[in-house]
Amino acid sequence: MNSTVMKKSMYFFAIPALLFYLIFWIFPILRLFQYSITDYNGFSQAYNYIGLDNYKALFNGDTLGISVKNTLIYTLVTVVLGNIIGLALALLLNMKMKGKGIYRSLAYIPTLFSAIVVGFIWSYVYIPDYGMISTFLDKLGINDDNLNFLGSYSSALYAIILVEIWKNIGTTMIIFLAGLQTVPNDLLEAGKMDGCGPWRLLQHVKLPLLATAITINVTLSLINGLKAFDFPFIMTNGGPGTSTNTLIYSIYKMAFTEQLFGKASALGVIAFALIIVLTAAFVIRMNKREVSA
Amino acid sequence: MTIGSVTKKTLVQLAVILVMAVNLIPLIIALSTSLRDPNNKTNPLNLFSQISFESYRTAFERMHFPQALMNSIILTGISVIFVVLLAAMAAYPMARLKTKWSKFLYLFFLSGLVVPSQMVLIPIVQMINSLHIPTSQYTPILMFITCSLPFSTFLYTGFIRSGVPEEVEEAAHIDGAGLFRRFWLVVFPLLIPVTVSVIITQGVWIWNDYFFNMIFISRAADSPLPLAMLGFLGDQQNPTQWNVLFAACFLCALPLLVAFLFLQKYFVGGMTVGAVKG
Repeated sequence: MNSTVMKKSMYFFAIPALLFYLIFWIFPILRLFQYSITDYNGFSQAYNYIGLDNYKALFNGDTLGISVKNTLIYTLVTVVLGNIIGLALALLLNMKMKGKGIYRSLAYIPTLFSAIVVGFIWSYVYIPDYGMISTFLDKLGINDDNLNFLGSYSSALYAIILVEIWKNIGTTMIIFLAGLQTVPNDLLEAGKMDGCGPWRLLQHVKLPLLATAITINVTLSLINGLKAFDFPFIMTNGGPGTSTNTLIYSIYKMAFTEQLFGKASALGVIAFALIIVLTAAFVIRMNKREVSA
Repeated sequence: MTIGSVTKKTLVQLAVILVMAVNLIPLIIALSTSLRDPNNKTNPLNLFSQISFESYRTAFERMHFPQALMNSIILTGISVIFVVLLAAMAAYPMARLKTKWSKFLYLFFLSGLVVPSQMVLIPIVQMINSLHIPTSQYTPILMFITCSLPFSTFLYTGFIRSGVPEEVEEAAHIDGAGLFRRFWLVVFPLLIPVTVSVIITQGVWIWNDYFFNMIFISRAADSPLPLAMLGFLGDQQNPTQWNVLFAACFLCALPLLVAFLFLQKYFVGGMTVGAVKG
């Protein structure tokens, strides 16, 4: 392209956005590193540099290990289950049937609700004795006295993961559906002629052609899962005990309820490193695969 | 058509209805419960046994609905306008210039996607406190704009690269238009499809966000809808409050549901523009 038309002065167009981004995004991240070696409490402006004490305290305490473990479980389950259910739903709603458009819209509706509304409604679903699941089981005559999804150490994390999946399934489905529209019909016909059943068509024709959609959905749910905060905050307060403490929720709690800004910043730095490494590793891997495919 | 294919069709239809029912049952029960008097405590599973708007009236007053709605419209509206202008402008050099710098800028913005906003907030709250900047109803807008930039610049850059041929700009250049007029009069109007998807993808999350509002807004009168919902926190543990709580939930979701009803095509298209281009 003619360089008198595409001039370097175009860069001026990026300045307003860049200013916002630097002041409210990059600068705070750098400050986070600074606070992580202080005993800053968020209120008094005087604080001392205490070296790596915050990090040492984190590595010696339980919070870090528990939060990382919970976050990884949260991410793994949302990525795997969310994408399988989303793909299944997209395949189902891609079949020939009456009222397809209406079903697609209905499946998309949960994504329009605010996390806070979703949290309220699902708290009702899970609550013992009066809740939706309990009442259903009562009707079926099943004893559910010991059933407390959000109140038990072993099930609370999985209960909120299910809510996360439910809320995002519409988006995942829409992206898969868009991908399915790019699968050429004659390729499917050719597959059928060669005697492929529905499973083999899915495995050998549809899935490879959905590579882009899969990459996008997995990347989105990976980032989402690593940043998990809403449902521990709204539904469980990280509890019972520490069983639903995710990394970001722990940071929030440490900073804003325990007033340990310094220590929370150190946890933030660790979380930051973990998220960057995991996302980068995944994206690089995915890029390699797509090129070779 | 054989009998076999008819039964297969019916089976598919039944399967879809079953899946939808399981998927949407929490919403259906919540809707049915919200349509009862606040003191009607019959089993929520008896769907739509009463149709009354008493709970809605109570919720409407408790969350100061008209005011909260207005606040939501103001916050989302201002944020989205800025996001569109800033992101479209920033994407222009990233899409057109093929230098190391433009590639760096693109990745620099994109990398913002993985940073959780809750983390950035600690230093920002400190910055605002130490500089004694008064927080107001409008403070969250700064964060809404910033958080929307990574994804929006990504969408715009992809669209300009593949959807706006450089030739249209060359023609304008020959006619003597400067860079500024070329962008606003020639390029920007061609960005409408991607602008729609930026407005929808970013508008929905900003509209639904409670977190930044919770941190920065302290006066009840300044609360947008999701923050007004926070006033009901705790009520979900208490079955006697459910009718009103669910009414509040649907009042909070209503504006987006109505928007979705009329603009469905754009919602679905908006989600996929970025995805398919990838």
